[in-house]
Amino acid sequence: MKQYFKNLESGLSAAIQNGQSSPRKLYALEIARLGARLYSGVDMVSWCGIYAPFEILNAMGVTSCFVEFIGAMVASTGTVGPMIEETDHIGYSSDACSYHRAVTGAAIKGLMPVPAFLVGSTSPCTGGVAVIENLAAHFKKPLYLLQIPQDFTENNIRYLASQFRDMAAFIKKSTGVVLDNAALTTSVKNSNRARELLLEIYRLAASRPSPVSSKDLANFGIVLSLLFGTEEAVRLAESYRDEFSRRVQAGKSGVPKEKIRLLWIQNRIQFKHPIETMLADEYGAAIVCDELNDVTWDPIDPDDPYEGIARRCLSIPFNGTIENRVKHLQKLAKDYAIDGAINPCNWGCRQGTGARGLIEEGLKKVGVPVLNLEVDCVDSRKFTEGQFRTRIEAFMEMLDQRPSPWSQG
Amino acid sequence: MQQDKEYVGFACAYTPLALIHAAGFIPYRVLPMGDFPDRAGLVLHDNLCPHVKRILDRAMDNNLPALRGMVFMNSCDSMRRLYDAWQRERPDIESAIIDLPMTMDDPAVHFFSSELERLAGILKSWDGETVSEDKLAASMAQYDRIGRSFARLRKDAGNGTLGMGAGALQGLYNQASMQAPEDTIELLEKNTASPPPGAAGMGGVPVFIFGNILPNPEAFDLFESCGARVVGDDLCTGSRLFTELSSSPGDDITSRYAGALLRRRPCARTMDVRNPGSFAAGIIEQAKNSGALGVIGHTAKFCDPYIARIPHLRQKLREAGLPFIMLEGDCTLRSIGQQRTRIEAFIEMLR
Ligand code: SF4
Ligand code: SF4
Repeated sequence: MKQYFKNLESGLSAAIQNGQSSPRKLYALEIARLGARLYSGVDMVSWCGIYAPFEILNAMGVTSCFVEFIGAMVASTGTVGPMIEETDHIGYSSDACSYHRAVTGAAIKGLMPVPAFLVGSTSPCTGGVAVIENLAAHFKKPLYLLQIPQDFTENNIRYLASQFRDMAAFIKKSTGVVLDNAALTTSVKNSNRARELLLEIYRLAASRPSPVSSKDLANFGIVLSLLFGTEEAVRLAESYRDEFSRRVQAGKSGVPKEKIRLLWIQNRIQFKHPIETMLADEYGAAIVCDELNDVTWDPIDPDDPYEGIARRCLSIPFNGTIENRVKHLQKLAKDYAIDGAINPCNWGCRQGTGARGLIEEGLKKVGVPVLNLEVDCVDSRKFTEGQFRTRIEAFMEMLDQRPSPWSQG
Repeated sequence: MQQDKEYVGFACAYTPLALIHAAGFIPYRVLPMGDFPDRAGLVLHDNLCPHVKRILDRAMDNNLPALRGMVFMNSCDSMRRLYDAWQRERPDIESAIIDLPMTMDDPAVHFFSSELERLAGILKSWDGETVSEDKLAASMAQYDRIGRSFARLRKDAGNGTLGMGAGALQGLYNQASMQAPEDTIELLEKNTASPPPGAAGMGGVPVFIFGNILPNPEAFDLFESCGARVVGDDLCTGSRLFTELSSSPGDDITSRYAGALLRRRPCARTMDVRNPGSFAAGIIEQAKNSGALGVIGHTAKFCDPYIARIPHLRQKLREAGLPFIMLEGDCTLRSIGQQRTRIEAFIEMLR
């Protein structure tokens, strides 16, 4: 892994220096750099849950990453099979989310760097907490668990904010690293700057036609959160904003002759697959919006960062009841003038698939049909192209024959 | 019989039964048992645990007593989704979901205490009574009394002097989870009065059972018919629901109750962050103390908290020299019956 990320980093840097720069290449470069730091053997590493406050961790100089990133990595590099087989050997049920099985397999195989500590988060999923606990036991390293309350209330915000303070104290106790207030202020300012840029990026992405090709913003919002607080996040977001501005000004769509605008629900499929290309090439269909790409929070007050970060966490629609999530999806559908939505229903994701019916119903209410696939987004061995092709074809033909739900107004 | 009171439904062993009772209701556990069409998978997804799917099936089939409300605990993803689906399918029965921390530290207890206060307010809005300190203390005392009675029955089961089979004991747990504590106290005091010697199942091979949802008395009969004697359990539908709470510090009774509930023997979804992976040690300790020769794990399929902890537990049980068999079920007797041969072979191996 160490060599893989180093090679990736140097290859991408060389390409960018030779004038082949693009936002997606810069994005890949930042992933490669993060990977290289995680596996450097020198940097202090923390394995985290998805909602960990990366501004704080980055301000403390800890290379931090949610564990699902490793699941996505091994899927995208086509090495997921042996990781998952490793979990078969220990009797880890195949009913579990493959992100978590892949991470567990990687840890057993010794492919996960030993962290200094771990920070779990009770949102978005129960399986994620369990895997963090298992990793803490595996590595015999201290664990801090963030309890993310479900509702956006002042009491809950205060509770979560106090946990962030406790977490900083826990890190100090575990590693001796002290959170410097000035570094945190800078981090929060960077985070706010990235937030503003994200708002611009998503506003541009909603243009008609959209400047977004189906892959441009895949995994973008969630991966960028790992860099929150850093200047790299700001630079990366700037490059997307600039590129999308250019495309919009030139009237250039991400998918040539854009005909159908799609919303992708929850995670993308992480391994190489033909669906996005097929949608674009055969149907002029662009995934213009991903559910996970949105700004749902207000700027964070640099003088009171803990509460602001807590507000951000609780604003994410994966918290609370499905009503929040459905309302958010309806809003995205309207903002982006979506024609249809695809829900991959990642096998093993209880929090996501359990909402399948209510999401479908909620989007139907605003005139947006949903295609529910049954994919394992990580385990490529279960993927059968033919089966998905037939379902997608039927869905696209149906969308092609109906007017946009937004054409009246 | 407490017939003048209304029922409030619940589905998780962490539910604050004493608080619901102190608000003037009878806590009624909606067990995933009975015969009704299998429809929940369409609303939720087939890969959600059968515990929540069958509760939703019951609700969709109107297979419930009159409930004034339904209290869900935020124990896991599936339970959260059940709450969502419940609101859609049974908007006529008011419902609430209460956050349940996954750790037992002081801030978590403090937060849980505020959630219990919120629940007291919700119960009041369902035409319940104001929960006073005295009322809550009285209800807690009643449930502790029930916990002590069950502990005696469990002790008798461990000694082989229980005057009934494990299935009958499970029947008592089920009954106790669906009626007023006053009625359960009466029922149990009858059952614990004089344990007859030479009890049923005495000759079986002692086993310890852990897991989440196993309410069918017939499942325990089946274990016994395979030659096992259940000498202890750690199940959501068994001992974990009815255990005397240890005292927990706190400024007021709600925070003491919150601490006691959160700090009692944890199921797989709750953890001790200072000691990651300690769930396995807890099961092993209980199994050893019970005198079991082997351990049977039984979980509802698709249960993430258990799925993730089983591999570590399996390894630790092996290290402890305790033979182990893992069964998965869908909350029907049929699914356990299909595993009879495996269970028989396991018991045979323990002899
Ligand atoms: S896909 Fe679902 S279960 Fe898996 S990591 Fe994401 S939220 Fe968790
Ligand atoms: S059996 Fe497991 S998944 Fe189902 S409700 Fe209980 S803890 Fe959740």
